[in-house]
Amino acid sequence: MRKLILGASALAMAASLAGAAFADEEVTAWRLFVSDHAEPVVTVIDALDGDVLDKFTIRGPANLFRSAGGEAVYAVQGAAGVVTAIASGISFDDHGDHADIDVEAPKLTGFELSGKAPSHFVEHDGHWAAFFDGEGLARVFEEHEALEGHVETREVAADAPHHGVVIPFGSHDIVSVPDPADPSKPPVGVKVVDSNGNQVGDTVECVGLHGEATSGNLVALGGCADGILVVRAGSEGPVVEPLRFVEGMPQGRVSALLGGKGLQYFLGNYGADKVVLIDPAEAEAFRIVDLPMRRVHFAVDPVRAKFAYIFTEDGQLHQLDVVAGAITHSLKLTDPYSMDGHWSDPRPRVAVAGDNVVVTDPLKGLIHLVSAETFRKSGEIAVPGKPFNVVSVGGSGKVHDHGGEDGHDHAHGDGLEGHSHHHGDDQIYKGYFEDTQVKDRPLSDWAGDWQSVYTLLQDGTLDPVMAHKAESGSKTADEYRAYYETGYRTDVERIEIGSDSVKFYKDGKLIEAHYASDGYEILTYEAGNRGVRFIFKKTGGDAAAPQYIQFSDHKIAPEAADHYHLYWGDDRAALLKEVTNWPTYYPSSLSNEQIVQEMIAH
Amino acid sequence: MKLTRFAFDLIVITLTLLGQPARAGTEGLSVVATFSIISDFAKAVGKERIALRTLVGPNGDAHVYEPRPADAVALARADVVLVNGLMFEGFLQRLVEASGTSAAIVELTEGAEILADPQGGHYHYVDGQAIFHAAPYDPHAWQSVAHAKAYVGNIAKAFCAADTEGCPVYVANARAYLGELSKLDGEIRQAVVRIPANRRVAVVAHNAFRYFEHAYGVTFLSPQGISTESEASAADVASLIREIRAKRAAAVFAENIADARLVEQIASEAGLTLGGTLYSDALSEPDGPAPTYLDMMRRNVATLANALNAD
Repeated sequence: MRKLILGASALAMAASLAGAAFADEEVTAWRLFVSDHAEPVVTVIDALDGDVLDKFTIRGPANLFRSAGGEAVYAVQGAAGVVTAIASGISFDDHGDHADIDVEAPKLTGFELSGKAPSHFVEHDGHWAAFFDGEGLARVFEEHEALEGHVETREVAADAPHHGVVIPFGSHDIVSVPDPADPSKPPVGVKVVDSNGNQVGDTVECVGLHGEATSGNLVALGGCADGILVVRAGSEGPVVEPLRFVEGMPQGRVSALLGGKGLQYFLGNYGADKVVLIDPAEAEAFRIVDLPMRRVHFAVDPVRAKFAYIFTEDGQLHQLDVVAGAITHSLKLTDPYSMDGHWSDPRPRVAVAGDNVVVTDPLKGLIHLVSAETFRKSGEIAVPGKPFNVVSVGGSGKVHDHGGEDGHDHAHGDGLEGHSHHHGDDQIYKGYFEDTQVKDRPLSDWAGDWQSVYTLLQDGTLDPVMAHKAESGSKTADEYRAYYETGYRTDVERIEIGSDSVKFYKDGKLIEAHYASDGYEILTYEAGNRGVRFIFKKTGGDAAAPQYIQFSDHKIAPEAADHYHLYWGDDRAALLKEVTNWPTYYPSSLSNEQIVQEMIAH
Repeated sequence: MKLTRFAFDLIVITLTLLGQPARAGTEGLSVVATFSIISDFAKAVGKERIALRTLVGPNGDAHVYEPRPADAVALARADVVLVNGLMFEGFLQRLVEASGTSAAIVELTEGAEILADPQGGHYHYVDGQAIFHAAPYDPHAWQSVAHAKAYVGNIAKAFCAADTEGCPVYVANARAYLGELSKLDGEIRQAVVRIPANRRVAVVAHNAFRYFEHAYGVTFLSPQGISTESEASAADVASLIREIRAKRAAAVFAENIADARLVEQIASEAGLTLGGTLYSDALSEPDGPAPTYLDMMRRNVATLANALNAD
């Protein structure tokens, strides 16, 4: 099925699921959802290794949308008159400086929304509005309900059946206004309505309304003959204002819009062979970029905020630097796909999945992968039929403290193969286990001579580990280094543990004390998963030694540790709350190289 | 004392850099400041020798700021980029990457005595949603004047490094401004002393005043993660209300960077009135009550004193 595999990422993934896991282990997963131009099917592909994870039969050929959070993918089947919700299986729990990732099998949620000719489908703040052109109304629902499969929809009616749009905006909705003389023509403006369906303020004119996007806290609507509309949150609800084209711009109109991620801007088409970068806050709000040929499709890069990608009918993919406002790279990928012919003919679509730009090639039955870093082709995936629309979902996240007592069982040679694997183990792995599974452990589980890895972080020995994490992770190597700088920080450079004694080497000075088991505590983390601290209390020895030491090593019952995080102090309860600083120890017998290898392998 | 050491540092830097060409052209040193408060410090030190661009303007919340391509362009052209650091500017890393700038990125909290945050971060309240801002070290250091002095010292050093010719001017400006800051510090202490000791407890939504608390002895209570839309909020508010009663907090305050819905809810449930608006992470508009750092701190302490002294 696949010709070329992105081996490194897939291996990293397999390795990260294998063996003893770290408290802050990074897991990367990217999935492609691909619809067919003619068949009622959505294929889910692991973007890291090209494997088909599942194939869902739906009611008709679909246009695909993913939510901002990525937990859901929607198949809008205009001809069949259905919107189908698919759970992507990848979800994140954002903690500001990092996110926890949860990876499960993709599945149909059971939620379907029926109506006549659904077309524009818009998300704003977790609310989706599917506009049914044939009925002239939108059905609005919340994503979390769609994921649960049962949904209460709210209907927002426009004045007549037309090719329109509704954008949910807090307690208001922005609703397209059809042409009063002939609703089959493009809409002529938008109005704001409140939760009772009453219009607030005047209709804002935009003759030709088409296309909408969100970037940060702004929404833009395109299509107007003289510019676009920009929507901001005001104290009394949304404020819609026209942003007009200026003198000197060539003839054109914006009818397809994308919103920048990471940088706030909009990218629109402008005529057939130009695009326009729009920053409503700048005096020169419109920057036009010429394309060599007519545009087929485009996508913004959610990871490398500086870039967007444009596919043109000559079969080329272009990298657009949105800061400089210029095409910086072009790469020939497919045979020509002329824009002559029907607008809905099969032509390539673009998405970004982690380190790769993804381009469908419907007539060849292929998906091309292009490295976002080098802008060279990095692989391709064969997909039967005419792979057409594509969206990607994924990213990197942490899996915390998964106390996996038999972690070695998690070695999956093929990454996340099957996605139906390891039920019970998987639960422990993620930090979900029954209290009865947790057993007291003797201090001898940690017996040995241990070195702190903090000095290795400081002297640069761990730089390759940080670089490796940055390759598959969501942060730069420097950000990882800063994260571990806080995590690993300690002045106890070495620890020797016997059957009932602990020797701390603090700044070269020896502190020694005896310790006895003081039970364990099961901690629940913010994400809802759990970990176990095994606690030992001082029974005698040097006054400078801490009253309590608490081990965390991802194991929940007796077993020798291979590395551990150690918390120490005089207040047992306060210590349990420490979650940002976790001095980490590896066997002193390991060389620097071995530790680096160990860390990279995990 | 601090001034002396700071002046000494400047002399060392000046000597080290002597003979290097100044980067400032005819238009002055090009400076980008990430938000309005450090922008005000930069103005005080740089005055007419610098061309200044501020990314997050008056009443803006830097935590939810969306940088724009034009910001990346400004960074690319800058000689000096002044930032708070300590993960205050969540957008900084991606903006620096997008800009490809070679300018010095100067963390103004460098060398200041920084408070660890035992909670590992704090909450911002945006449109009724609680957003956790993970930051193991509390970034809101400017809320203590002693720390503001460290910012000013760092700015002068950075300007001297980038524009050796202008260094004496920056040093003189900084020295004059540090004098004003010393005066301000004394005023705040006097104002707080006049508040009865048992009434020095205030309630805010976004916990941005820990440095103020440590420096001046006014305790600030704040909720952990309440969202006005969440079903759990009643229970969360209840625990804060208990704390408010136990510590006998005297007033609840709104903040200039957030809407007041949450604090209004807290005030009404605690049976307290809103004591006014505090300026936390941003200055006011130029025609508002807190257009400069000096005005902002005076305004905050007046607002606090007024509400906490009231019966």
